[in-house]
Amino acid sequence: MDANLIDARVEEILSTHGKGANKLVPILLAAQDAFGYLPGNVIQHVGEFLAISLGQIYSVASFYKRFQLTPVGKRRVTVCRGTACHIRGAPQIVNEIEQTIGIKEGETSADLEYTLETVACIGCCALAPCLKVNEAVHGAMTPRKAGVLFTDVSGNKNA
Amino acid sequence: MSKVTINIDGKEVQAESGQTVLDTALANGIYIPHLCHHPELKPRGVCRLCLMEMADGELITACRMPVIAGMVVKTKTKKVDKAIRPTVELLIAYHHDTCRGCPAIGKCELQTVMSHLKIDRKRVRRLRPPPAKKPLDKMNSSFDYDPNRCVLCGVCINTCEDIHGVSLLYYVGRGHETKVAFYGDEKKCESCLECLARCPVGGLMLKKPVEVRH
Ligand code: SF4
Ligand code: SF4
Ligand code: FES
Repeated sequence: MDANLIDARVEEILSTHGKGANKLVPILLAAQDAFGYLPGNVIQHVGEFLAISLGQIYSVASFYKRFQLTPVGKRRVTVCRGTACHIRGAPQIVNEIEQTIGIKEGETSADLEYTLETVACIGCCALAPCLKVNEAVHGAMTPRKAGVLFTDVSGNKNA
Repeated sequence: MSKVTINIDGKEVQAESGQTVLDTALANGIYIPHLCHHPELKPRGVCRLCLMEMADGELITACRMPVIAGMVVKTKTKKVDKAIRPTVELLIAYHHDTCRGCPAIGKCELQTVMSHLKIDRKRVRRLRPPPAKKPLDKMNSSFDYDPNRCVLCGVCINTCEDIHGVSLLYYVGRGHETKVAFYGDEKKCESCLECLARCPVGGLMLKKPVEVRH
C-alpha cells in the first residue's frame, strides 16, 4: 500500500471512531485489520489525533498479541505448541516448516510471503498436532505432511 | 484540618483527616511494606504490598485508604502475611540474585521489605527461573535501565506523567517480559532525573561518566 493510500485509510478509521483515549484500542484494531500490522507512521498519526504519547500506544500495542508492529506475511502460519500438540510432535513440525520455507519461528520471510509463529493453544487438541495457515486449520500433521503443505502452497520448496 | 485517632497494630495514633493510613503509619514509626507509594504521587495501589486487615477481616491497601476516626487496622496478621509474602518472593525470584553493584544499595525499598518480612532466601532460590540475565537498556544519554532490578512499580512512569503532563516512559510488553521503556520519545526527555531519584530500587541508574582521553 503506498503512503497516500495508507494516510487516507487512517483518516477514514480515525474519523469513524472519533476522539477520546478510550478509542485507542478500537482504532488500533481497525488499523491492524486494514494493514495487517501497525506501521510506525500510522501509530504516529493515531497519537497526534488522540493527543496521547507514542509510548502509551506502544504500551498497549505490545501488550496484546493481536497487534503486530512488524509486517506479517501473506500466509501467517501458526503452529500450536500446546501440551497435546507438543507431545505429538509439534517441535518436529516447526523444525520441518522452518527448513521448508527457510525462516525461523517468529520471523517473516523477506518477500512477505510467510510469517511463522507458535501459540500456546489453537483450541482443537483432538486434531493434534495442528497448525493454522491464516484462518484454515490443518490437523493431524506430521513433519512430512507439513513439508508437502508448504511445498504445495508456494509451488516450490524454499520459496 | 481536624485530627482523628486511629488504631494501628494496637497503637493509638493521631492523623490529619484526609491522610492515608500508610502515611500515618510511616509518620508514627510503624512500617508497612510498600513499593509503588511515593509521598509526592497520587496513590495508585498497584504493588499490593501495603495490604492491611480491617476490623471485619477485609484486606485493603493502606496507601489508598484515608483514615476514618476510630478505625482499627492490623498490618502484621497471618492473613496479610499470606497475601503479600508470595508477591515479594516472586519479585525477588525475578530480580538479580545479588545486590552487589546496585546503585540503590542502602536505600533500596525492596531490601527493607525483605528484612521486614524476614524472607527465606533459600525458598526463593527454588522459585528462581533459569538464569537468563536481561541486557541493560540504554535509555538515553543520561540514564540506563536494568530490567533485572526493576520491580515494575510504575513510580517512574507516574512521576514523569505528574511532572510533564504525559509520561515519556511506559510499560512495554506483558507478563515476565514487561519492562519500562521510551518509545521514540527519548529525545523529549528533559533529563530532570526525577524518575531516577524516586525509583524505590535500582531500576534506573545514571550513566557512568565516560572518561575522555586526550
Ligand atoms: S528524566 Fe524527567 S523527563 Fe526524562 S523520563 Fe525521567 S521524569 Fe521524564
Ligand atoms: S524503574 Fe524503578 S520506578 Fe520505574 S517501574 Fe522499575 S522499579 Fe519502579
Ligand atoms: S504501596 Fe500500596 S499498593 Fe503499593
